[in-house]
Amino acid sequence: MPSDFAVAKRRLRLLGLTGDDAIKAFFGGNALVSVVVLLLITIFLFREGVGFFGQNRQNLAIYRQAGLEYVEFIRAQQADHIALTRSLADLRLRYLTCLTEERQMTLAAANEALAGFDDYAGKFSDTVEPLRGLATELTEMATAIKTKFLVTQDQKEARRQLLAEGKSAEAAKVKIDEVDFATELKPLVGTLPVYRDLNREFARRLVEVAAAAPALPTADLRDRMTRLQQHVRDYVAGFPAIETRLAKWDHRRPVPWWESFTAFVFGRAWLTASFWQDWYGILPLLAGSVLVSMVALMIAVPLGVGAAVYVNQIAGVREQKFIKPGIEFIAAFPSVVLGFFGIAVLGQILRAVSQLPGLSWVPGFPYSERLNVLTAGCLLALIAVPTIFTLAEDALNNVPRAFKEASFALGASRLQTITRIVVPASLSGIVSAVLLGLGRVIGETMVVLLCAGNRIAIPDFSSGLGVVTQPVHTMTGIIAQEMGEVVRGSIHYRALFVVGLVLFLLSLAINYAAQTIVRRYRISIG
Amino acid sequence: MVSTLEPPVSALPGPRRADALIAIDHVDFYYGATQALHDITLGIEAKKVTAFIGPSGCGKSTLLRCLNRMNDLIDGTRVGRGTITIRGVDIHRPDVDVIELRKRIGMVFQKSNPFPKSIYENITYGLRLQGLKDKARLDEIVEKSLRGAALWEEVKDRLHTSGLGLSGGQQQRLCIARAIAVEPEVILMDEPCSALDPVATAKIEELIQELRARFTIVIVTHNMQQAARCSDQTAFFYLGRLIEYADTRDIFTKPANPQTEAYVSGRFG
Ligand SMILES: Nc1ncnc2c1ncn2[C@@H]1O[C@H](COP(=O)(O)OP(=O)(O)OP(=O)(O)O)[C@@H](O)[C@H]1O
Ligand SMILES: [Mg+2]
Repeated sequence: MPSDFAVAKRRLRLLGLTGDDAIKAFFGGNALVSVVVLLLITIFLFREGVGFFGQNRQNLAIYRQAGLEYVEFIRAQQADHIALTRSLADLRLRYLTCLTEERQMTLAAANEALAGFDDYAGKFSDTVEPLRGLATELTEMATAIKTKFLVTQDQKEARRQLLAEGKSAEAAKVKIDEVDFATELKPLVGTLPVYRDLNREFARRLVEVAAAAPALPTADLRDRMTRLQQHVRDYVAGFPAIETRLAKWDHRRPVPWWESFTAFVFGRAWLTASFWQDWYGILPLLAGSVLVSMVALMIAVPLGVGAAVYVNQIAGVREQKFIKPGIEFIAAFPSVVLGFFGIAVLGQILRAVSQLPGLSWVPGFPYSERLNVLTAGCLLALIAVPTIFTLAEDALNNVPRAFKEASFALGASRLQTITRIVVPASLSGIVSAVLLGLGRVIGETMVVLLCAGNRIAIPDFSSGLGVVTQPVHTMTGIIAQEMGEVVRGSIHYRALFVVGLVLFLLSLAINYAAQTIVRRYRISIG
Repeated sequence: MVSTLEPPVSALPGPRRADALIAIDHVDFYYGATQALHDITLGIEAKKVTAFIGPSGCGKSTLLRCLNRMNDLIDGTRVGRGTITIRGVDIHRPDVDVIELRKRIGMVFQKSNPFPKSIYENITYGLRLQGLKDKARLDEIVEKSLRGAALWEEVKDRLHTSGLGLSGGQQQRLCIARAIAVEPEVILMDEPCSALDPVATAKIEELIQELRARFTIVIVTHNMQQAARCSDQTAFFYLGRLIEYADTRDIFTKPANPQTEAYVSGRFG
């Protein structure tokens, strides 16, 4: 007798698959595709990025071999002098303000009174002239060597390509002017005695000029002048060290492999397409990204978590119906629109606020750069709020009602129950919400590109919290801005990929941390 | 028909409402539009154990939660008619501080619900809310409460580990210790043993016998033996109405109402 099972087994088959198999294959296939795509992207990022370190080492090697490093010592010395001149100019400004505001002088009269000071400042700045002359000359020499070497490189590349195409006859015709760095550098290094004499004279003259400071009217100004003179003495005291460094410098000293790595990780400059030397240091970009994200979180965490607590614990049903979609709606704004808003409205408003006379006690206020960390941070906060709000609200929702009831039954007020039971019990969820908000913010591109001011420099932290009023550039911003115009395969192109890689690893770490926290500290409900 | 089931208050075997610690007087209670309690009148005597019994959904928990106004936490609930007074004070009077009320009326829930904090912090929670900070005093109360809940010997070496690490029965005793730490007058227990095995249940019942000297206890239970063993008075509810309220012995041996008789003898419910 045939069993019922045998009858039921006659199912529809397609390509030898039953319906169940097809469904399994469909979903399994989708999962597989996502994993594979993710893997491919990661591999691509790594492949494009990793070549950077070799190229950067080459870049650093030329910097040394062509004598740029040597010349940089002298250029730096000159730059330090310029910084001193600048503080002198700052002092002049204070002097002028003092005269016009406290002594009620007219501008013309004040400027006249400053003639002595100007004379002093003029002499001070002129002392560097001979050194500047030498530095310019050396800069040209070093650049010439570097250019020569690059031309050789191009010739080699041309020949290699011809050979690859099998045109060996033509390849042999390509002339290659090998650069012998030792001979090329001889005249450059040969200037050392000249530099020594020049430097001694410069030091003598500078000390002499600096000492003849004009009398200043207020204690504050005198104080500043004394400090400036101390700086000058320190500066001059550093000259012998520069001379020994120049004397010891050797273009043959190899560039170790890790230097291209440290130059990237700890590099304080991101300088591209420069006539002198390109630097690929991630610090200014990292600092910018971190600073902007911190400001964003500082604003978004109280807002997002506060709103979540309110909606979950305090608001009535009708308020919930209104607030929840409202906040989640913010996420619907395209970030470019937010960025546009930041440029057109928020930046202006914040700057105007910073210039209110009553607010000058706030660190960093007043400021004149409309686009800066603060402007970008405020807008990024807006982007982070929905993420933080939604996830934190979920976490609060997961706190068992029983905890709340027990707390109320012991005579706790609503506020006490929130602060002592509900929030601590959902803290892991809230922390991971904040982390995911951070991940969202650090990867955001459009807003920072439009509103962070895009100045590539490590912000000046000496003004404390006022640092947030400075413009910065970010990792995401630089990729978006520069990727379009770089040559594929060039060091610059690869450097951008490494920045992308850092960003990717950072987001990965943040997400991983968020997940771990949730898993590790989730309250087990007994 | 129902009204005939309801003897006049003066006829109740328990104390008269006038001298009861808690007097529930003609109370109607609503969840939104649905009425869950109909005209409940009963007095709960001080330093006695009063049991609420009745089939599921008859309103035992609802009435219990009215006593410390826990129902306030549910949107749309209200007492439609009648009053609940404790020591002659109407607990719904506008000048009554609900927080103060809940400090004086402790509660133990059906499902043990220690906070995700250490055992020590669980017990001191209510005290800290009241602003007590003195460490020595807190230590003393923790020990006293844990001893009071017959838990001290089992946990004295792990006071600072999580309360969630205890067994179900221990957790429930921790919740009792937490409730008695703030020295309430009344302890409300909503099926405190329903999730426990017989051994743990026996322990809690023993504990109730010890606690009755110091506290007024109201206990909701589905376990007839438990009600018979533990309580002095028993109230039987059915469909939101109080059917019979009498000395426990009488309810179980000579119930006045046929429905009560049917329920306690296990023929329905
Ligand atoms: N939060 C609520 N909202 C609406 N109705 C409720 C709510 N809680 C209870 N009820 C209703 O009130 C009535 C009484 O419920 P209650 O929980 O007091 O019964 P109970 O006697 O404790 O039952 P059990 O023995 O199952 O715990 C039931 O009909 C129930 O459906
Ligand atoms: Mg119940």
